[in-house]
This record gives sequence, structure tokens and C-alpha cells, in this order.
Amino acid sequence: MSISISGLAVSYGQADVIADLDLRIDEGNFFTLLGPSGCGKTTLLRTIAGFVPAARGRILFGDVDVTRLPAHKRDIGMVFQDYALFPDKTVFENVAYGLRARGERGAVLEGRVMKALERVDLGPFRSRKPAALSGGQRQRVALARALVIEPQVLLMDEPLSNLDARLRLQVRETIMELQREARITTVFVTHDQEESLSMSDRIGVMNKGRIEQIGSPKEIYATPATTFVADFVGAANRIPVTLGQGADATRPTVRFGDVVLRARCAGPVPNGEGVLVLRPEDLGMDDSPTTDGAASSLPGSVILRQYLGARTAYKVRLGDGSVLAVDLHGEDHDRFSAGQHVSVSVNPEKALVLAR
Amino acid sequence: MNRMIDVRSVWFWLSVAALVIMFVFIVYPIINIVTSSFSNGGGWSQILSEQRYGEAIANSLMLAAIVTVACTLVGVPLAYVTARFRFPGKSLIVFLPLITLVIPEVIAAQTWLMMLGNNGLITRFFREYGIILPSFYGWFGLVTSMTFIYYTYVYIGTVAAISGFDAHLEEAAQSLGSSPARARLKVMVPVIAPAILSGALLVFTMVIGNFAISIILGHQVQLLSVMTYRAAVSEGGVNPVMQSTLASVSILIVMVVLFINRWIVARGRYEVVQGRGAPPSALRGLEGVLIALAAGTVVLISMLPMISVILGAFTRARGPVMQWGTWTLENMERVFVTAPQPLVNSLVYAGLATCIGISFSTVVSYMIVKKRNLITPLLDYISVVPLALSGTVLGIGLIISFHTGWLPLTGTASIIVLAYVVRRLPFGMRNASSTLYNVPNSIEEASISLGSPPFRTFVRVVLPMMAPAIAAAAVLTWTTSVAELSASILVYSGGRETLPIQIFRLLDSALMAYASACGLTLIGVILLPIMIAIKVFRMDLFGVGKPRSES
Ligand SMILES: Nc1ncnc2c1ncn2[C@@H]1O[C@H](COP(=O)(O)OP(=O)(O)OP(=O)(O)O)[C@@H](O)[C@H]1O
Ligand SMILES: [Mg+2]
Repeated sequence: MSISISGLAVSYGQADVIADLDLRIDEGNFFTLLGPSGCGKTTLLRTIAGFVPAARGRILFGDVDVTRLPAHKRDIGMVFQDYALFPDKTVFENVAYGLRARGERGAVLEGRVMKALERVDLGPFRSRKPAALSGGQRQRVALARALVIEPQVLLMDEPLSNLDARLRLQVRETIMELQREARITTVFVTHDQEESLSMSDRIGVMNKGRIEQIGSPKEIYATPATTFVADFVGAANRIPVTLGQGADATRPTVRFGDVVLRARCAGPVPNGEGVLVLRPEDLGMDDSPTTDGAASSLPGSVILRQYLGARTAYKVRLGDGSVLAVDLHGEDHDRFSAGQHVSVSVNPEKALVLAR
Repeated sequence: MNRMIDVRSVWFWLSVAALVIMFVFIVYPIINIVTSSFSNGGGWSQILSEQRYGEAIANSLMLAAIVTVACTLVGVPLAYVTARFRFPGKSLIVFLPLITLVIPEVIAAQTWLMMLGNNGLITRFFREYGIILPSFYGWFGLVTSMTFIYYTYVYIGTVAAISGFDAHLEEAAQSLGSSPARARLKVMVPVIAPAILSGALLVFTMVIGNFAISIILGHQVQLLSVMTYRAAVSEGGVNPVMQSTLASVSILIVMVVLFINRWIVARGRYEVVQGRGAPPSALRGLEGVLIALAAGTVVLISMLPMISVILGAFTRARGPVMQWGTWTLENMERVFVTAPQPLVNSLVYAGLATCIGISFSTVVSYMIVKKRNLITPLLDYISVVPLALSGTVLGIGLIISFHTGWLPLTGTASIIVLAYVVRRLPFGMRNASSTLYNVPNSIEEASISLGSPPFRTFVRVVLPMMAPAIAAAAVLTWTTSVAELSASILVYSGGRETLPIQIFRLLDSALMAYASACGLTLIGVILLPIMIAIKVFRMDLFGVGKPRSES
């Protein structure tokens, strides 16, 4: 079931928390809402669920307008950050709850519940109360409970944020498997960029009640549409630059310090004032400053070195006092030391110019 | 869409209905009291000019102050000793709150008289040896009996505060060079002081409003509550000037105290240190024996009413003369067989009040906590108003509001049930809403998202989660309603006597043995649900709500 949202506005009083939002999520997609705290992710999710009324705009599930439909008739499955299990009911009864509300009884009910529980490896826990489960087990019960009713839409609000790092990975995989298997249209809210990149078919990056960019994880990461997206998804060096009058609008000439290069450009940049976005891992580093013609190489000195196993993260201070983050992988990535004079090289193919 | 005034929502209309009900039965009677106190020339000028009114108010304030101090002096050391030490017989003291909860004040007053009254067991015992005890009527009896009933309220709050007090603070003070005793005083007193003060102020308001003991033991001492009651009885509902004025005075006093209490609690919040309390240490030797003895004495005195009511219930009597030492079942027979109406009335009225009160407070708390709209804050405010009304004041309010006019309730059983419900409403509400605040919104949303409509969600998910608290509140409402005297004595009509009313009337004619039988039955009726709740359902009755047993 696809979800189409048009012209949506939501407010809790005076000011709009969400203003004029359009969004389309294709059938069977795993869609992630990513954004900083307070940007309105939960609000949007709860509006889709029907817990928060829309002030303006329409929400469609497939062709059906659900904007005015009460939550319990929307046929959704929902997974909450705090699990929201019914504490006085057993694991079995928790999972059976939605089926009972749909009039399912007897052996069919039992069969479906047990299948759902076994799917999340919780068959033997059927008669426990939630209080006697670990955090990961609780979240798996919550998943089984939401999925057993085979909802049209699955909504999840930071379901992993109460779990520790290792469990988070495990449950993440469980969610992905179950979602792929059932091909349920899923909206997943998180403020963890790694989670969103690894799990999603598509990501919507939200900021202040608006969606800044929608795209596949790769698009979001490699070609962020705004500096906000570039900053929020992955680390980015941002360098203010002036654009030259190049013939090719998509490959403008940028100049900063002694460096002149033809960067990529995602959209028109007004006034020729732009920001050059450089991912730390896209930068290279050499021992000696090479001045001969290599215009895309910047001299500087290492001021911080953090060895991280698979890579080493450096901070390099350039001649003009600005600081670049550089991540090195591959052999001898830890070969530079603090204080050392180096030259940072920029690959024009990976350099992106955005509007300021 | 404005969620605060959503006229299409069922909850909105329910909250309107609740507001109307609470206005009619809580606010309207108070308005009537206040306006009546100014009608027909008003009672205020009389209160100011006639000396006996001023005297009664001064006496009540003085009594409240003395009893409050006495309760603190008994309650705090006892709390400290039980929270911090282990000693022989300690397990007995743990039952203390239970004892005062189950003994209605009218029985306590009665049994004190049976022991220490002019013809009391102990009085006569000493008289045989030529020792004449001071008369138990008047200040001596009032202060003694009230102290041994009300000190529990100081005790319970202080035990909780000391148990929650972080022992590390004390150690820290010691490590900084204070002697143990000084360290204790320096760090512990400021932390537990708010709890003690809250308990003490509660005692103060309960003494001001106290009816049963005041009227039975007061005798020559004029007290505000007794004078209010007498005014109400002599004026009736037709021209209720004096009773309304006196009731207004008592509302004023209690409101001032509640205001002080609120202020202290608000300040105290910053001082409460949550931590692990020190484990109780064992007391041995002479010190242990002395402390156990002192604590035991307090318990024994608290138990005195219980013991004498049992003795009295099975002692033969000819009229007012007790024939101590000769046993009989006659008295009990009268309660259950010959004249069972008061027992039946008590069961029916308290049962109804419990059902109505608990359902009402559950639904209204649900709206206040989970279905907020423009009206629900009002419901919240009004629901605590009965705290400022003593039973006598409430009784007066109900009589002058409903004795004739558009809703004539006097002479029916409903006004008694109504009095019970209103008096216990604040406790039921506090109970229900404190559990509701612990039910996260996401639980309800989870249920709704699974296809359960909101009402079904309330029944299937929220109610079961509230069930333990509701059951505990029901037991407490039951016990306190069954024991209620001061409001029902004003609003009842012939044939609708309850057990406490019956006991009160028997005391008036000094029929102690029959009164004891009624008292024992009443204690049984109170105790049974508590026992079942604690033993069978393993409820933590004394952790929820604040039990009150004044009748
Ligand atoms: N019930 C409410 N009443 C008033 N304002 C609210 C309410 N709920 C949220 N808001 C406001 O709406 C904005 C968006 O909140 P929302 O909960 O949707 O953020 P979020 O993106 O989910 O943040 P987080 O990552 O912290 O969960 C915030 O500014 C918040 O203060
Ligand atoms: Mg959120």
C-alpha cells in the first residue's frame, strides 16, 4: 500500500510543527524519516497513524483518503520506542490482541500468534509477562504484535534507541528481514544516520518540519541537496567558496586559497557564493607538500590523530587557519603523526558545491 | 481543529457531565454555606459579639495545637526507632497504621471511656486502692485519646522519609568531623522535616474537624465542631445561619492550613534526597529493652480500644451497668438477629458509595490525565475541595442544599451515600490519577493501532492496568465509608441508622455493652476486606493513597 501525503500541515496550537509537506512512499518500500531532535518526525509519523489530526492537507493509503479516518480503522502496525507492551498480559496475549480485535478466535488465532512468535524466536516465551523479558526480547514482541495483523502500513518510531549497541544491530537485522519478507510499506523514524543508511530503500531528511531531501541512501550521502543534509548525514568539511564564471554550470570552477578545481554542482548556485562539501574519506594525504602544478593539493599540518582500527581520523590545519577532517583507509593509514607537515589532496570528482 | 473544545468527542460531553455533577454536589453546597452565613442578618456579628463562639474557636485551635505537638513527640521518635533499629517485638509496630485505620473514632472514644471514664474499668481499679484519677472528660481525655489515634499520621510519613533518607549523607557529615549525633541532626532533620510538618498539619486539620471524640469526651470544653453540629441540629435546614457561619469558620481554618501545607511540600521537594536508607541495626542490652518497652507501650495503648471493645461486646450488662466478668452472647445477638437494620444499612450504603465513588473517580481521573480539554483542569481542582470540608461541614452543606427545592434528598438514603462519596472523592481520585500517570500514552496508542477503538482500549488495556490500584482504593473507600459518622449523623433520617450512628446513640444512653457489640461488628466489617486484600490478593494497601479513619 503506497502512502501519499500532500499539502500536509500539523500544529499543536498556534505555530505549525509541520507546514505544507508533500511525500510519496511507494508500495513495499522501507522509508526512513531522518532528522534532528524536534524536527517533527514523530509528529509526522503520528499524523500518518491518525493520532494527531492534520490541520490541512490529505493523506492517502493507496487510493483511499484516510485523513479523517480514526486511528483504529487505518489498519496500521505500530512499534514504539518504549515498546508499549501491555504489562498485565502475557507475550501470547500481547501478540494476540490485534487479532482478537479483528474477531479472530480459536485455533486460527493460536496458530497465527505462535507463527509470529516463532518468527522472532520467542515461541518458548509465550506465557511470560513483559516484565520478565529483556529489552531486545520486548522489542521483538512489539514487532511480532505489529506484524501479526498483517497491516497495510508499518510505522516505527525509533524502535532501536532503547537498546544497547549490539542488540541494536541484531534487532535491526530482524526488522529488515521481516519487512523484506512481508513487503509491508514501512515508515521508520530515527535520528541515527547509520541506521537510516543501512536499512532504507529511501530516506527523507527532515529539518524544522520540512523534508529537505528524499532519495536513496546513496543519493543522500553522495549528493546531498543542501548543506543541512550534507552535515546531518555523515561528516562533511564545508568550505565557503566563490564560483568562477565557468562555461559549464554543472562543473563550476571553484577557487579557495591556492586551489582551483572544477567541482560538481547539484543545482544552480546564486550569486556565485557557494559551499564546497568534502567528505573526510574522499580526501587524500601526502608527506611532502607538492607544489608542482597539482593545484588541488593543500599544504597544512596534522594537529590531531585518532587511530580507529580500520581507519585513522586526522585533523589538518591549513595555511589560512581553517581545519579539515581527513579519514585515511588502506595500508599504513596511521602513518602520519601529529605536528607533521602534510599536503591534503582533493579529488574534483568527489567535491560538491552547494548553495550557501 | 481545537482539541480543547472538541464538541464531537464523547469525552468532552462526559467531562461536562462530571463538571455539572461535581458542581452540584461539591461547589453548590459550599456556596450555600457561605451565602447562608450572610443571610438574615448573618451570623458573623454574633460570632464576634458572643463570647462562647470565640471561646470555642480558641479552644479548638488550642486543642489542635496541643494534639499536633503531642503526636509529633510520639510519632517521630517511634518512626526513627522502627526505621533504624531492630529490637524484640518490632513486628508488632509494623501493624500500627492498620490499628488506627480500622478503629473508627466513635469506638475509640467509647472504649477510652470504658477504661478511664467515671465508671471505667481502670478508674474503678484505682479507686479500690483509694487513688482518684482525674476525670477523663475534658482536656485530659481529648488530648490523650486524640494523640493516640492521630500520631500514626505523623508516624507513617516520617517512617517513609527516614527509610528513603540516604545514609551516606550522614556518613559524609561524620567524615567531615561531626559527631554521630550532631551529624544526624544536621543532615537528617532538614530532609525529613517536610514529611513531619505535612503529617503534623494533617493532624491539625483532623482535630479541628473532629466530631466523634470531641462530642463524646468534650463535656464542658466548648469546641467549634461540636458547636457547629449542635447549631445544625437545632436550626435544621430552614434558617441555617449559625451553622453556616461556624462551618465557614472551619473551612477558613482548614484552608489556611492546607495552604501552608502546600507551601511546605513545594519547598520540601528540593530537599528530598532519594537514596538507600541505612539498614536497621540491632539493639541489644538495656537500651534495646527500654526502647522495646517504650514502643510496646505505645502499641499497647493504641490497642486498648480493640481489647476493650472485645471485652465489652461479650460482657453482660443491665442497662448502663456493666457486669464485668460475666460473659454473654446477647449483645452480639442483638446486632445480628434482633436489630440487624443498622448493620444492613451500613453494608448497603458503604457498598453503594464504594461502587459509585470508585467508578466516578476512575473515569474522571482518566479524563484529567489522558483526555485533557478545557474542562478537565476544573475537575482536578474541584476534586480536592472536599479535603477542606470536615464531615460536619459537608453534612450541613448537603442539608441546606438538598432539604427542599429542586432536588429534595433529605430523608432518603441517597444523601447518606452522597456524603460518603464526596468525603472520599479526593482519595479515590489521587489514587486513580497516580496510577494513570504511570500508564504511558504509547500503551493506549499501541492498542488503538492494533484496531481497538478508544473505548474498547480503555476497557481492555487501561482498566486492567489500573485494577490493582482501583481495588486498593475500593478497600480503603469501603473501610472509611463504613466508619463515617460526622456527616451521616447530620443527614440520616429515622430507620436509616448506620452502625456508627447506632453506636453514637447508644453511647448517649450509656449502653456500653450493646455499643461494644456494634463496635466489634463494625471492626469486623472493616477488617474483613482488608485481610482478604492483603492475604489473598497481596495488595499493598498502605502504600497507596492516604488512609484516614476519622468518622
Ligand atoms: N503534544 C505536543 N504539544 C505541543 N508541542 C509539541 C507536542 N509534541 C511535540 N511538540 C513540538 O513539536 C515539535 C516536533 O516534535 P516531534 O516530537 O515530532 O519531534 P521529533 O522529530 O520526533 O524529535 P525527537 O527526535 O526528539 O523525537 C517539537 O518542537 C515539539 O516541541
Ligand atoms: Mg520523536
